[in-house]
Amino acid sequence: MAKNSPWITPAAAIARDFPAGLTELSPRAQVNLRGILDESSFMTAVKTATGIDLPITPNKVATGKDHKALWLSPDEWLLIGEGEADALVHRLENALTGQHVAINDVSANRTIFELSGPHGHHVLMKSSEFDFHPRVFAPGDCVQTLIAKSQAIVEQVGEDAFHIYVRSSFSRYVGAWLAEALAEYGAPA
Amino acid sequence: MLNIDCPWCGKRHETEFRYGGEAHIARPEDPAMLDDTDWAAFLFMRKNTKGYFAERWLHSHGCRRWFNVIRHTVTHEIVGAYKMGEKPPKLPKPAGGAK
Ligand SMILES: [Zn+2]
Repeated sequence: MAKNSPWITPAAAIARDFPAGLTELSPRAQVNLRGILDESSFMTAVKTATGIDLPITPNKVATGKDHKALWLSPDEWLLIGEGEADALVHRLENALTGQHVAINDVSANRTIFELSGPHGHHVLMKSSEFDFHPRVFAPGDCVQTLIAKSQAIVEQVGEDAFHIYVRSSFSRYVGAWLAEALAEYGAPA
Repeated sequence: MLNIDCPWCGKRHETEFRYGGEAHIARPEDPAMLDDTDWAAFLFMRKNTKGYFAERWLHSHGCRRWFNVIRHTVTHEIVGAYKMGEKPPKLPKPAGGAK
């Protein structure tokens, strides 16, 4: 079996009927990286392996050529790229040999919904207690919060586009919620 | 509902957090040396403060860090949040009304 034969998440059962503006993305490489920020060798090695200066400001995203890094906690980041995680994991392992780190392929952990169009932030605002108003949440920001009471990571990827990372086992429920929340705005003109 | 100031993430809604009880309770250096009374006092006995109270919170649905908060147990006023190991903020003088 091909290793990355696309995972079918529970959301796939309903994704066909999603309204315009909501899609489930195909699986991406997702690697959870933990390490000690104060050790300069850690930051340097990650930069060597990925070309990214890890964001040290909470809830920010740093984007490199092939990957991006989401701040998750003071010693934890989520690295995301296209395709499979193996190559990224190996590059990180090589660059960080001997350091006190944890590198884990978590690609199957969360599926990613893309919410786009002029009502994306309205949908998020009514799905969460976090303030998704454009004056506080902007492209390049990410947040771990609750979406419809489910743990999620939300990243604003463009002026009118969001990625919502949801545990696969919650994906059908959250997908259905987002679809219904978006439906009231009708099809984008 | 409370808005709690996570020292890393900033102000977030109470539903993202878990409560962890009274702060600044040091684990005994050598538990084996304690008799049952002292061990029970460490494990179970907590203040029941009416007023400003130092307590632990976990940002469980956010950055998953533990930190401390000074909260007024009657008014829910939050004076400040601070990381583990940091000094608590100065308490405001009790105003009329809530003490
Ligand atoms: Zn936090």
